[in-house]
Amino acid sequence: MNIIPISASAGITGFESPATDYRQLPLSLDELLIEHPSSTFIGLANGDSMQGVGIFDGDILIVDRHVEVRNQDVIVANYNGSFVCKIIDKVNRLLLSANESHMSTPILEHDTFSVEGVVIRSIRCHRKSPILKND
Amino acid sequence: MYALVDANSFYCSAEQVFRPDWRNRPIVVLSNNDGMIVAANRLAKEAGINKFGPYFEAQKLCEQKGVIALSSNYELYGSLSAAMMEVIGRFAPEQHIYSIDESFLSFKHCYPAIPCLTEHAMKLRRAVWKETRLPVCVGIGTTLTLAKVANHAAKKIAGYDGVCAITSDEQRIAILKTMKTNDVWGVGNRIAKRLGMMNIHSAFALSQMKTGLASKQFSIELERTIRELNGEVCKTWDEARADKKQIFSTRSVGNRVTDLSSLCQALSKHASTAAAKARTQGSLCKSMLIFASNSPFDEQPGGFKFVHHFSYPTNDTCELIEAATSAAIARFNPTIRYYKIGVGLINLCSEVNLQGDLFERCRNPNKMLVLDCINAKYGTDSLFLAAQGISQKWGMRREMLTPQYTTRWKDIPLIKC
Repeated sequence: MNIIPISASAGITGFESPATDYRQLPLSLDELLIEHPSSTFIGLANGDSMQGVGIFDGDILIVDRHVEVRNQDVIVANYNGSFVCKIIDKVNRLLLSANESHMSTPILEHDTFSVEGVVIRSIRCHRKSPILKND
Repeated sequence: MYALVDANSFYCSAEQVFRPDWRNRPIVVLSNNDGMIVAANRLAKEAGINKFGPYFEAQKLCEQKGVIALSSNYELYGSLSAAMMEVIGRFAPEQHIYSIDESFLSFKHCYPAIPCLTEHAMKLRRAVWKETRLPVCVGIGTTLTLAKVANHAAKKIAGYDGVCAITSDEQRIAILKTMKTNDVWGVGNRIAKRLGMMNIHSAFALSQMKTGLASKQFSIELERTIRELNGEVCKTWDEARADKKQIFSTRSVGNRVTDLSSLCQALSKHASTAAAKARTQGSLCKSMLIFASNSPFDEQPGGFKFVHHFSYPTNDTCELIEAATSAAIARFNPTIRYYKIGVGLINLCSEVNLQGDLFERCRNPNKMLVLDCINAKYGTDSLFLAAQGISQKWGMRREMLTPQYTTRWKDIPLIKC
């Protein structure tokens, strides 16, 4: 159930706030984090292979499908039927990890591969968010 | 020039967006309550699954052929549809969203900014795929009906590669010759049957029919369709969707209803859904059909059907619920295990042309306006009448439901790192 907070008011007016004329929309994280709302999806990072670029297990990934993929971008790819987050090496056709304990993966002819979008932001919850899955 | 853009088996394609391992698998999507197959992608059709059949009949075949069967995930479809429409809308100055997966575009006054519409449509198709991972087809023609025809060709005729622009008369005629009459927009099976008796079997034959004969024998609508097939603009999208003459909200329930309060709640829920739809199209309801029955497959069919006439036409949720509830109380039978429950607003009139009445109970349309606005802003049923129940045991069955990847935080897709 959604709760919509509405503050009660009794029609008593005092001095009008001097700030009324200066009111603007409050800062929105959507505006900051999402550039192309209709081409963006949000995913949950699972694993430690991207720690070197600051993506840890349980982080939130913001994936933009609109932007063009540049070499060395952090991307989400469909690699043989599952979503993976890696650094793309377009020149050598490799998926690079950002953790020394993980090997880079070559993209071979018989692999199913497509770029699903560029990870344009990642978000760390330093305290667990109650609305995300808690495990 | 107009374009019709629509997604290929949209529900199935939507299910594949966040399941890349399903991208080349046969998929069917089931109706509310998992009763019927409402969508099947190409691979599922090739496996021999028919759309609109009951699922229990096809279940065995699905299992044998590895067809993935899913409950409908409307939360996901709605959100992906909105994203898809937004991307499509970037490609034309005017857009009319016709259904969850179809959108008309108008390219009026676009020449010479868009020198080649086919090339433009290819770009659109690629952009929608890249940005939403949904496959679409584009049909382009000089009328809305011909855009529909072209879209049909883009889908069904090999070699078009998902984009068909009807630019010459020869091409138009060639395509119409491959289409049956009931493939034409606005020609239903009943009309197609009657046309068949007059030896009109193809869309081309229909386009050659005398317009006078069409309006006399059938309707002015068919005459307009024929004119449109010949390139004469008769339809605009404001009238592409007429107001509904009846509004039904009905559903079979997941768990049989056997107590009066659940029955009242279910009917109240349907009354409020129907009332909201009536308000959207500016209609008032004079009579409402209220019904509840067990399944026709039960040993002893039973239930009730009742028509309530309102003294003054209304679309007020409270009044509709009141009528539905009192009908249920009067007719409830504790020995019947109710399965099919619903209401129908069967006698509608326009809000605008309503004749007022001196003795009319004072209505407050603003109350409903507030209700509708809040629900539009915060999502369906953010605000509802308690009569429809808070936790709905009798809700629908969706046993094969996929996660709501784009609308629930707990359901966002996992990405391997």
